[in-house]
Amino acid sequence: MLAGKSVLIVGAGGLGSPAAYQLAAAGVGRICLCDADLVDLSNLQRQILHFSPDVGQPKVMSGAAKLRALNPAVVVEEYRGRLTAANARELFAPYDVVLDCSDNFATRYLVNDACVLLGKPQVHGSIFQFDGQVTVFQPGAGPCYRCVYPQPPAPGSVPSCAMAGVIGVLPGLVGSVMAMEAVKLLTGQGAPLVGRLVIYNALDMEFAEVRIRHDPACPICGEAPSICELIDYEAFCGGDGL
Amino acid sequence: MSLSDQDVIRFSRHIILPEVGGRGQKRLKEASVLVAGLGASGSAAALYLAAAGVGGLTLWDPGVVTPQDLQGAIAHDWSRIGLPRARSAAVPLRAIYPENRMDVLEREADLLGDLPAHNVVVLSAGNWAELGPAAVRGGASAVFCGAHGADGAVTVVTPGSPCLGCLGAEQASLLGLFPDHGGIAAAAGVVGVMAATEAIKLILGVGTPLAGRVMRYNGWDCRFEEASFGAREGCACWHG
Repeated sequence: MLAGKSVLIVGAGGLGSPAAYQLAAAGVGRICLCDADLVDLSNLQRQILHFSPDVGQPKVMSGAAKLRALNPAVVVEEYRGRLTAANARELFAPYDVVLDCSDNFATRYLVNDACVLLGKPQVHGSIFQFDGQVTVFQPGAGPCYRCVYPQPPAPGSVPSCAMAGVIGVLPGLVGSVMAMEAVKLLTGQGAPLVGRLVIYNALDMEFAEVRIRHDPACPICGEAPSICELIDYEAFCGGDGL
Repeated sequence: MSLSDQDVIRFSRHIILPEVGGRGQKRLKEASVLVAGLGASGSAAALYLAAAGVGGLTLWDPGVVTPQDLQGAIAHDWSRIGLPRARSAAVPLRAIYPENRMDVLEREADLLGDLPAHNVVVLSAGNWAELGPAAVRGGASAVFCGAHGADGAVTVVTPGSPCLGCLGAEQASLLGLFPDHGGIAAAAGVVGVMAATEAIKLILGVGTPLAGRVMRYNGWDCRFEEASFGAREGCACWHG
């Protein structure tokens, strides 16, 4: 029963917006929104949790209000702040599933490592212009983020949504798939995207799927892990901060 | 219709895309989309159309908001239970982009005549066999979508492409292509956002529309399956 389950959504923006609404509608008992940012006018083109009067408000506050209005039975928690190596494990611990709806590489590696160390399943989604990806990282049952992407991209080599643009509907699709995957993880029903990466192109409305594998030599989830604590992710990603 | 200074900020993530640009964003602002059905997938479609800056939105739905609706249709909330669905959905849509031109059709009788006045109609409710031809004969493109349980499907009919009559009701049903019926929010989100995506592509004139293809989503297995269909000989096609 979803009412007895909980999710933490990292990022109340493009990916987090549809996912949060849909998990609240589904009746997940407890949903935590984690985001440090304020609502910006340029967010409204895709971040449907936020409306024009919300510009300037903390995203977690704006988002929580919509979720409570949609389903008053859900306990909605707001964590307004940055996710860091100092707070991630404690923040994640009480939740059944984590959704990585973040928009930068340092956070992705942090979310991954915290989930692996805690043994938490995570739903991962990413977007760029017209292209999206989504998968599920289930500890002990498939790869983790580092298995697939052992090294972050060179700093500045992957532009942000602000610099490259993004079609607003794209995170709508990817975030919705993420929510469905979360429902499957929480209920134990269906076949979650473990070991499967779905790749989507909105321009041609095409979907492809590739197999992704657990790496026995992975430094965090492999046979002889060298990472047993959260690290400095900004430094790991080359101080990009983006 | 020009973009305001606020529009340029609001839609900056669109405007810097080569496929959109200021010209494309203006087209969206000048466009009119009719959304028939504000249930689960219709809600998702409408929210993303409003967010994208579609300037003209006409909403129609025969029903009123029920508590069951709130399990799937995210354009409504607890405070609007009992309101006509179209009127309820208008609330967040206006709040997202207050500059849009919103019209709520109360009566089904108004709907048939109003369809051709739009660039695109997104149909997740109503009598598709009647609404589809009325739209496409009038020069509009039609996006059909529906979610049921954790499944759903979408297709597009443009003036000149194969129509639902070519596909056939039985085949459509086998492919899971029928109006919204108890879809859960996540699956309806996938399907409704696909529908909004198609509408936006049609308005912008970019990408490959889903015309002649039914895209199906199976949520429990996360499968996306495409089925092509062509013009059927002898079909009294809407564009014929």
